[in-house]
Amino acid sequence: MAGGAPAPPPAELASSPDSVGVWRARLRLALLGFRQGWAIFAESRIGLVGVAIIVLFGVMAVSHPVLMATVWDPSVYDPVTGFAFDRPDHPAPPSWRHLLGTDPLGRDILSQLTFSTSSAFMLGMVAALVTVGIATLIGAVSAYFGGPVDAFFMRLADLIIILPTISLLIVLTALFGINLFQLALVLGILGGFGGTAVVIKSQALSIKVKPYIEAARLAGGGPFHIIMVHIVPNLLPLSLLYMMFTVTGAIFSEAVLSFFGILNVRMSWGIMIHTASTGGYLLAGAKYWWLVVPAGAAITLLCGSFYLVGRALDEVVNPRLRRR
Amino acid sequence: MAGYLVRRLLQILVTLFLFITAAFFLVQAQPGDYSSFFALNPELPPEVQAQVRANFGLDKPLWQQYLIHLRNMVTGNFGISFSHYPQSVREVILERLPRTVALFLTATVVSFYAGFFLGKLLAWRRGGVVEYAATIAGVGLFTVFTPWFGLMMIWLFGFKLDWLPLGKFLDPEVWRDAPVTANQVFAWMLITAAAWSAFLFVALLAAPRLGWRLGAWPRLAGVALTLALVAAVWNWTGAGYLALDILKHLTLPVATLTLISFAGTMLLTRNSMLETLREDYIMAARAKGLPEKVVRDRHAARNALLPVVTSLVFSLAFAVDGGVITESVFSWPGMGMTLLEAVLSEDLPLALGALSFVGVLALVAHLVADVLYVYLDPRVHYQ
Amino acid sequence: MSRESTAPEGRGRTSPAGVPATGPAPLLQVADLAMQYRTRQGAVRAVDGVSFSIQRGQVLGLVGESGCGKTSVGFSLLRLLPDNARLVRGQVIFDGQDLVLLKEEEMRRYRWRRIAMIFQAAMSALDPVYRVGDQIVEALETHGLLGAPGAPLSPPFPYASLRQGKGGWGNLGLHPPASGEGRGETIASDSPSSKGGRALVRRFLSVGNARGDPRAQGRARVAELFHLVGLDPALMDRYPHEYSGGMRQRAVIAMALACRPDLIIADEPTTALDVIVQDRILRELKRIQQELGLSLLYITHDVAVVAEVADEVGVMYAGELVELGPVQGVFSAPIHPYTAALLSSFPSIRGEKRPLAALPGEPPSLVAPPPGCRFHPRCPYASRQCREERPPVVVRDGHWAACWHPLAGSPWNEVAAPHG
Repeated sequence: MAGGAPAPPPAELASSPDSVGVWRARLRLALLGFRQGWAIFAESRIGLVGVAIIVLFGVMAVSHPVLMATVWDPSVYDPVTGFAFDRPDHPAPPSWRHLLGTDPLGRDILSQLTFSTSSAFMLGMVAALVTVGIATLIGAVSAYFGGPVDAFFMRLADLIIILPTISLLIVLTALFGINLFQLALVLGILGGFGGTAVVIKSQALSIKVKPYIEAARLAGGGPFHIIMVHIVPNLLPLSLLYMMFTVTGAIFSEAVLSFFGILNVRMSWGIMIHTASTGGYLLAGAKYWWLVVPAGAAITLLCGSFYLVGRALDEVVNPRLRRR
Repeated sequence: MAGYLVRRLLQILVTLFLFITAAFFLVQAQPGDYSSFFALNPELPPEVQAQVRANFGLDKPLWQQYLIHLRNMVTGNFGISFSHYPQSVREVILERLPRTVALFLTATVVSFYAGFFLGKLLAWRRGGVVEYAATIAGVGLFTVFTPWFGLMMIWLFGFKLDWLPLGKFLDPEVWRDAPVTANQVFAWMLITAAAWSAFLFVALLAAPRLGWRLGAWPRLAGVALTLALVAAVWNWTGAGYLALDILKHLTLPVATLTLISFAGTMLLTRNSMLETLREDYIMAARAKGLPEKVVRDRHAARNALLPVVTSLVFSLAFAVDGGVITESVFSWPGMGMTLLEAVLSEDLPLALGALSFVGVLALVAHLVADVLYVYLDPRVHYQ
Repeated sequence: MSRESTAPEGRGRTSPAGVPATGPAPLLQVADLAMQYRTRQGAVRAVDGVSFSIQRGQVLGLVGESGCGKTSVGFSLLRLLPDNARLVRGQVIFDGQDLVLLKEEEMRRYRWRRIAMIFQAAMSALDPVYRVGDQIVEALETHGLLGAPGAPLSPPFPYASLRQGKGGWGNLGLHPPASGEGRGETIASDSPSSKGGRALVRRFLSVGNARGDPRAQGRARVAELFHLVGLDPALMDRYPHEYSGGMRQRAVIAMALACRPDLIIADEPTTALDVIVQDRILRELKRIQQELGLSLLYITHDVAVVAEVADEVGVMYAGELVELGPVQGVFSAPIHPYTAALLSSFPSIRGEKRPLAALPGEPPSLVAPPPGCRFHPRCPYASRQCREERPPVVVRDGHWAACWHPLAGSPWNEVAAPHG
């Protein structure tokens, strides 16, 4: 415990029978809050559409390993090394065996599409978690301590906000040859120290002046205790909202870098379009639509769905946007 | 107000300094020896290698190299481009920066204006199919995968409809016997555009003071008249067909970038308007008996504009990035495409120079947005 | 309904029961006005069958707890309703014209020109991005009160007379009415800057080129108005955020007076201010109202304020008017238990010492208001009848109330012992 505060940590609290009741009550409150939040969320149709699309992509992500293990022959259907021997020339238009056709190298588009889904999810989730973790912590700390700590983090955030991220990432990825996971970390760090921290800090400021923070301080809670137990939990709804927007940004950035062919990944939606683009198939117009449309639509839809969920969450978190 | 702007300017300068520093060390830290990259590049003749070594102080310690780098940034000496040898990085950038600025500026101004206008109307007529459809379309454009959207635009307008060229800066066929260079023509086009906008702006400010109250149609007619005049002058110079060729190539990238940036402004304006409409001064404006249109434009939209301009700060970096992507997709030879090419061909001096200038562009845009905000919100002066 | 049998003069059917219609036709006559909000939970009956009238030059106070529909009455009169609200029935007859029947464009011409409003939150009633003076000029312009030289103003702009007719107001086509003479000296006496302000106005006016120039005309008007409400006219070129709370309130009052309306709806105009400023502004408002002969609808939850400003008082509960009559009568001998409770929850104005009683409970939901008398869940005298049947109208001492158990005598004594 920082500051030698007499307040016991939550683990000790939970051991006495009284505090079990406290935690049960808290849980019940949280559940209630969740249910009310969901009720508002569910009213916004765009939010439900977003959730539906995300679930659909989730099914796609899960289906790839399952199909590879059961129906799809790896030598034909592997997203990177497979080759469709059953077709005379490539790219081949959609057929029963290859529902979305094949790419110029004879690989199955549907397999590539589903394979890339899970990596897109992984990337988005890692970037979002890193962003929100850093931003929540920085926001809470900046708001709680103020002064030079606050000034430092906020100026840093200003700097990152102004930077053209993609341009920086182009140089970064091309010079260092980073992979998907490293990209997710970089995106998460840039986002966490950037705009998200500013938004979360302003929310933390409004929490900081609430009576229960003062009460906790009077009860002897140290800064660490107050930040972790009282401020951070109250920031979580807003953090969740910004996670959604971060996922959108992360998937988009990855796709752009892959599209330029400078990211060190085996397969992704961006690379699918890159392959078609470098092969010159794009200028043939709509003839080879299956090379571009599925991947482009997937990127757009997944980015869009997280954005829609974010918008709907915004109405839960920010009551001023609600329809009366 | 002056004090505020000076403070912002200083902040921007500090930011610029940090950015250039970061870019320098980013390039330094890349795997592989930076100095050997520079000095031992087989494409460069030995005497040029010696010049490069002296120029960048490659045999000196890192901190001295850094100081030399800072000096070079101030004097605009970025060294020699490997891929465009014997052109210097400065020459490459001077040629391409105006092209990026033109693309970025046109798209940003048009998308901001259109997005604000439509967002305003959406919030005003809340509910109904139109709002729903516009929101969906807005979200679609906002989250669409930019390169894919660009390719779709090329396919539709360049290929299917065959209205516009597929990409690049100009058509060599047209320019074969041209008496002037493309850069000269482009510079004159920029000057014309600047003069024309300045004229319109002054006219816009002057008209109410002279007591002219023009409706929407006479105003549009006036704008069309000045445009026709400009076209006539260009035609008279004999370079009209060349300018038209560049204009044709410019249209599709500008349209793409505009469509992508405009959706964000539209959605944000709508939200901002909805919040503003609940303010008491809107009720007061209605109670004053002002016509609905005046309440909407002079009070609600005017106040809703403030958060939208604030968010411009966020979206400017996004727009610069969007410009980089758009340029690459359309092979528009601006800074973005230069950056990508330089990175792919490991032309480090050019990459560093291009990255620095993309940063400068974002920072300047940021400063302009700041000044605009101070002008728009009387409350800022006193903060 | 049984109400008909017990009370042939039921509320919402005729003019305010029990108050004999004497003298000239009232400036404003509201009959059976009802307004509803549509919400997810159902229709909220914010205003449900309210009737009252205001004579020229009179002040009607409307009191009640928050959420009882007072403010909704004010907005209904101006027909300034949000999208989900609508007037379901009733008449608002203003100067012989039923405002409910007007087209939106015609209604717009009544707003501010004939009926102005002072808003609850003066802080936010001024647009932050425009100079305060310009916001007032905007109202004048909208209603065509500025313009060509010697443009006829009807009714004449009377404020010049309040500063003893100096400074060439004839240029503006203003005709000082006789009644206003000699009162100018008292104006703005509490404003420290009024001397400098006055000099500035004089200097401004001595230029004498207001003729024909709408802008100068507008500025002159604003200067006059600022002067009237005790603000330094130099402040007209400042933005709202540069004003203090009291100054903003004055500016809002000046704005309400700009078009010389016949009726001003004042919705809790002093609530957000500290007590001293509140009192000062209240007095000034009352003074201006009397000098200009304005009618005022004063909406507040503060019984003491009503006692100070109003001639008549209406007590609202749960969207209904439960008691209406002259202030003296209602406050000295309330009929409705709610009125009595409201009075007893405020300290006495006359310094009489007695314990303050807080009314337990909260106003009911207006989605499904209680049957019978809406006050019955909180009323100490509630009987079966109260729960089931609409209360009859009881008339006494020139005021009426709707109650099954009307109180007799002073509320302080009678609160515990119902009559009848």
